[in-house]
Amino acid sequence: MNLTRSILLFLLFSYPIILFGQDNLTITGTVIDDKGLPLPGASIVLKNGTTGTQTDFDGNYTLANIPNNSTLVYSYIGFSPKEITVDGNTTIDVTLLPDTQNLDEVVVVGYGTQKKADLTGSIVSVSTEEIEKTISANPVQSLQGKVAGVQIVSPGTPGASPTVRIRGLGTFSNATSLLYVVDGMFYSNIDFLNPNDIKSMNILKDASSSAIYGVRAANGVIIIETKSGSKNRKPQIEYNGYTGIQRAQNVLKMANAEQFTTMALESGSSADAQFILNAMQRYGRSRVNPNIPDVNTDWYDEIMRDGIIQNHSLSVTGGTENVSYSTGINYFTQEGLLDMKNKYERFNIRSKLDVDVTDNLKIGVNTVFSNATQYAPENSAWFKAYFAVPILPVFDAQNTEATPNSYANARALGYRGTQNPFPDMAYNENRLKIRKLLANFYAETDLIPEKLTFKTTYNLDFSALEERYVNLPYNMGFGDERRSSINRQQNNFFNQIWDNTLTYTDKIGEDHNITLLAGASYRDEEANRFGATGSDIAGIDYETSWYLNFADPLTFNNNVNESNSRIYGQSYFGRLSYNFKDRYLVYGTFRADRSSKFTQEQWGYFPSVGLGWVVSQEPFLQESNFLDFFKLRASWGRLGNDNVPASSGANTITNTTVDLGDTPVTGVTATSTFTDLTWEVVEELDFGFNLTTLNSRLSLDADYYIRDTENAIMPVYIPIANVTVNRNSGVIRNSGIEVAASWSDNINEDFSYSIGANITTVKNETISLEDERGYIDSGSAEFRQRTLVGEPLYAFYGYQTTGVYQNQAEIDNDPVAQNVIAEGQNIEPGYFKYRDANGDGFINDEDRMVLGSFLPKFTYGGNIGLNYKQFGFTMDFYGQTGNKILNRKRGEVIFTNDTNMDADLAINRWHGEGTSNSYPSSAGLRNSWNQRLSNFWVEDGDFFRIQNVQLSYTLKGDQLKGKFPDFKFTLTAERPLTLFSYNGFNPEVSDGVDRQTYPVPAIYTFGVNVKL
Amino acid sequence: MNTIKQNFKPWFAVLSACFILLSCSDRFDDREGQLNADDLDYSDTDNMIQALVGAYNIIATRGWEEPLLLSVRGDDVNAGGLGDQQPFTDTDNFIYDQNYWMYNSLWNVHYGDIVNLNTEIELINNFKDLATPEDAQTADQYIAEITVLRAWLHFNLARVFQDVFIIETTQPDGEIANGVATKDEVMQYIITQMDAAIPLLPNLRPNERTDIPGGVTRFTAMAIKAMAQLELQDYTGVASTTGEIINSGKFSLYDDFYGLFKKPGELSNESLFELQFSDFGNSTGDSFYHLLAPFGPQGWTPARENASGGWGFYEPSLKFIKFMLDRGETTRLESSVLFTDRGIAELQTDPNYATLPSFVSNTTRDGDVINDYARALFASGKHYLPSVQLTEGRNDYGGGKNMIVIRYAEILLMYAEAVTRGGTPNGISADQAVNLIRTRANMPTVTGVTSEDVMEEKFAELALEWGIRYYDMIRLDNYTELSYDGRTFTADDEYLPYPQAQVDALPLGGTNSNQ
Repeated sequence: MNLTRSILLFLLFSYPIILFGQDNLTITGTVIDDKGLPLPGASIVLKNGTTGTQTDFDGNYTLANIPNNSTLVYSYIGFSPKEITVDGNTTIDVTLLPDTQNLDEVVVVGYGTQKKADLTGSIVSVSTEEIEKTISANPVQSLQGKVAGVQIVSPGTPGASPTVRIRGLGTFSNATSLLYVVDGMFYSNIDFLNPNDIKSMNILKDASSSAIYGVRAANGVIIIETKSGSKNRKPQIEYNGYTGIQRAQNVLKMANAEQFTTMALESGSSADAQFILNAMQRYGRSRVNPNIPDVNTDWYDEIMRDGIIQNHSLSVTGGTENVSYSTGINYFTQEGLLDMKNKYERFNIRSKLDVDVTDNLKIGVNTVFSNATQYAPENSAWFKAYFAVPILPVFDAQNTEATPNSYANARALGYRGTQNPFPDMAYNENRLKIRKLLANFYAETDLIPEKLTFKTTYNLDFSALEERYVNLPYNMGFGDERRSSINRQQNNFFNQIWDNTLTYTDKIGEDHNITLLAGASYRDEEANRFGATGSDIAGIDYETSWYLNFADPLTFNNNVNESNSRIYGQSYFGRLSYNFKDRYLVYGTFRADRSSKFTQEQWGYFPSVGLGWVVSQEPFLQESNFLDFFKLRASWGRLGNDNVPASSGANTITNTTVDLGDTPVTGVTATSTFTDLTWEVVEELDFGFNLTTLNSRLSLDADYYIRDTENAIMPVYIPIANVTVNRNSGVIRNSGIEVAASWSDNINEDFSYSIGANITTVKNETISLEDERGYIDSGSAEFRQRTLVGEPLYAFYGYQTTGVYQNQAEIDNDPVAQNVIAEGQNIEPGYFKYRDANGDGFINDEDRMVLGSFLPKFTYGGNIGLNYKQFGFTMDFYGQTGNKILNRKRGEVIFTNDTNMDADLAINRWHGEGTSNSYPSSAGLRNSWNQRLSNFWVEDGDFFRIQNVQLSYTLKGDQLKGKFPDFKFTLTAERPLTLFSYNGFNPEVSDGVDRQTYPVPAIYTFGVNVKL
Repeated sequence: MNTIKQNFKPWFAVLSACFILLSCSDRFDDREGQLNADDLDYSDTDNMIQALVGAYNIIATRGWEEPLLLSVRGDDVNAGGLGDQQPFTDTDNFIYDQNYWMYNSLWNVHYGDIVNLNTEIELINNFKDLATPEDAQTADQYIAEITVLRAWLHFNLARVFQDVFIIETTQPDGEIANGVATKDEVMQYIITQMDAAIPLLPNLRPNERTDIPGGVTRFTAMAIKAMAQLELQDYTGVASTTGEIINSGKFSLYDDFYGLFKKPGELSNESLFELQFSDFGNSTGDSFYHLLAPFGPQGWTPARENASGGWGFYEPSLKFIKFMLDRGETTRLESSVLFTDRGIAELQTDPNYATLPSFVSNTTRDGDVINDYARALFASGKHYLPSVQLTEGRNDYGGGKNMIVIRYAEILLMYAEAVTRGGTPNGISADQAVNLIRTRANMPTVTGVTSEDVMEEKFAELALEWGIRYYDMIRLDNYTELSYDGRTFTADDEYLPYPQAQVDALPLGGTNSNQ
């Protein structure tokens, strides 16, 4: 019985079925791909017949009994099939070309795959070339500008992950991270993945596509598969690497010593004039202009350097008859632009093994181990470099108290703080060791052969984040002294998921294709944080003693803490996918999720449906050559967001210490309010179409969506108790249009080109909220961000300036100014004029309005690709408009008004009638009248950027007449040019508040790819 | 048959998978890493004191801006020059900005702490429900102590914002709906609360308590009651309440006026209510400080190296200094003011003050040299801790210095004022009370003191402390005194406007008397 069954199975598996026919020709040949590599397992069948075979390991085949004038069909998954008439030939070698428009192309969806043609939702796949081309440690970075509806905000810090938003911002809480499903495991961050190891990256944009992930899917889902081997394939060894240099671009020009001195003297503050004199006394007078000190420090220039970036990957993939494997190692390193110990290093080991144990049992093991070290920057240096006065040198030999380095201290000149950013850089070391292990195991068996499959998968993610922040001791003179201390944090995460699925696939009659999936999943997510701080480290001069056991034990008192959280999740889910004649598509999913995060309703239910109509498959269009493919689709779904803080469900206790009679005494305090939350629910409608036309050269995808977050968790302010409690109390809407178009054509054998473009609009709007005040404030009182119904989340909220008072007469004739002066406010020429929005004759709170949001309203991206013989050229660009940035660096003048400012502000200041109608005077800048948050401080964040330019040259091994490997050389410029008007050096600010944003460098690399 | 057997194992796996999922259900109710208030062992009354200690933590953790804002408007003190925190200076000049964060913070932190104190009362009540009669009595004492702390917060709010909410619960929705109480109602409420608390509290001086050294006693409650009576201008009441404190014989003035505001004067026999701070004498490790830097001079050369300076946000007024010099004050002026050379020069521009006593110097008794700094001419001596008194290795300005809230000198002067305004003396005379004060300050004794004399004595004795001077002046509608150094004070300047954020959130009718 067993043997019979095995043979039967073998026959079923071996497609096509071999049968014997009449005796004619025997044909042999090789099937290769466009790169000249053999295609093992390609199928060759006699057209309109049943005879056929498959190529062997080296792409060779032999086919007997073929009639002389018949036609053979060569096909291979992912390649365009080819038909060749035998015409008496007994040797037929075939080259198959990859088919980008293949209707049989399969897309990974949750817990399975689906034919791309059958999709009713909005799923975008990003190719490995796009991922590998981007110079970044993090694969997500490559999505920037490439996928409509996906916003990526790049970080400058080495090792940091970009901010990713799919279809706007749908949650008020910090729970914005999307779900990455890496080979079945859930992640909120994929900084441990080597971009070269990724086989496919699918972005599930609409609710219908992602609803199978229920409670974790609300912010969007990206499914990532790592590379696997394929059976019957010779081992392929591949090296992929690049080395390059990074350079800061668009560095903000600061006021120099002369401009600064002018501003200080014009402020009318005698103290400031004194500080300038102090500087001249201490450091001498400039020979060029004896009225300014002989120091002119460009702080940004001082704190920055160029950095090196490198990436090296080595992989081996292949397979035998029953086993396929893929394994590799990768090393990545990137230096930061900040001139301190600031870099990121990552070493990865990966292996994936799939084994056919028996005919009916497949198992697989997949592991990725990542060992990374990040030396994090001391970001305060960026901020200090902005406000440190240019009349302060880096070093000051007269500051003899300063040890170990004689850094200059601005207090020597009379300023309130030390200002100098160098101590922050020189005396801090922030090391994070990030070790992550992803491991999973699956077993798959057919319960009903070819129809019903059971698969069980166990995934685990173990992450250990070891943080060590070393504060070296120093003395800056003037009482600015610091003792040594070490802060250690250990964060361990242990997450497990166990999935069990049953998949039933069947074809009923000729026209009904059906796939059913049912599954159950169990999640266990544990996080533990342990931290301790100790001071007065013995032997602090030696890194070998940077451990807490060298700290003064007394200093641990109250500086040791631990917290733990463990969340369980339990889910049942199902999917139905049905198509009738490949024309009418019906899709539905359902997921029931339970999460222990919530104290009241633990169960949530997330359904979705999708409908599609493949118009091009209709008989009346099938004869038309114009439409290659045309599909209309509509979908609806509900998603959950449980990525929010767990509910406490009860008042909780905290220990506190107080001094009673010079003795520390411990007491307890209790909370008076507590959270009792449930999921945020996203409900989304999506309409779209996919069109391919003009001989598959033009493709056009478009979507319109409305995405509502209900039960949005909002921090509701409880007056009197003076606490803010999260409650499910708001509705947020994101809506917009996404269009992606691409054109590609081969002019001749040697020359081909492609052009692509995509645009995205996002309208972010608060539909409702429940707060006694009718709004929710965020930001600080001075830099107010307010969420109001009908407006975007976290909108900047302040006054509208209408100009600058040019002279006294203008003030005297302005009734509003007179009213304000009568209230005691001083107004002088050089002060802002504000719009009296409510027309009551006064300028007060009621005149504030929404000044804009940090979310771009419109983003666009595009690419051009040219291939000529062995040369390739690609260029990508990206831009966004409609977002605002709060120039918080400038805003610091509110708190400390005697410090430096950017050159734009110094040069364009009002300094006499007609000199400016948009910038205040130096004195005005220091007056609270002008310091109110207004459109002066909130700037346009629009930018356009050349994202990536790459030139490549490919050298085929066979062109070198021998068993040489294939080479590909690349020159890449990553983000070489950015155009913007914002007064900062980086228009990419994830939350729109630019205080100490790390600059994003331009990167120039040389890369090599070798395949053996 | 064989097929069934073949497929049995996978089916079993599917079923067992589902079963295991279901059996994990009980874990869903656990909350790891969280201690619920309900989970405390309330039957163990030994732990009850922890809730009281929590209350003392709440009262002592004041924001740095709170003492500043409470007291900056008097004619004894200025905000320092322009620059940082300009609306703070505007407030000193009686130009009020509803949006200024300090106003909102004072309101929020005070009310937030009132609610937090109420949660401590709830915790103690939980213990009390399970306690023996004896322990229940202790519980009542603890609750009475917290009531006194809570009263002080209400008292401050009503003094600053006039009509405010009285909050006695942890879920104040109902109390908010009832609207604000008038300032007089709040004062009356405080008196009633204190009357109820007094019999439950220990009959000790705060520094006599051993369970809570420096904790609230019945005399603290009496003092707060008397302060409320003073606000109501119930001078009979004030005389009677303060007389009771005086007649207890428990309190005396600390000999060294300068030292009273330094380490040696902490928890003295003069203290009725004191916020305590310390680093427990350890150079490292935990410390419990109030941020005194805003009170300190911006530039100094400390006697003990590396001691940090302050921010210069609290400047004794020229008016006060001249007033003191005119009176021939010595120790009280020296103890109240830190002089800079620039400040001394400014004084001397007035020919009447061309020659100054020798203690008017930029070097303090303890050898700290106050340098000139841009923001202000003088700094507060009462918030100054000599750098030599800092714990070794600690550099914070005034690190670990206590803040005395109510001291016996104020009680004596309240008594004297009440008696001169018609209150019935129930012990010593007004002259005696004032002379106790003057003797300690090395000032000649006086006879036949009038109300005006007492007010001047209060000015000299209590300047720079908690706005006592300002609240006296607005109580007496003495706007002339407040209109100094170019300022003009009018009746509608008495109270700060409600913070805009509170107007938006609470039924405050949009306005209080000052809008």
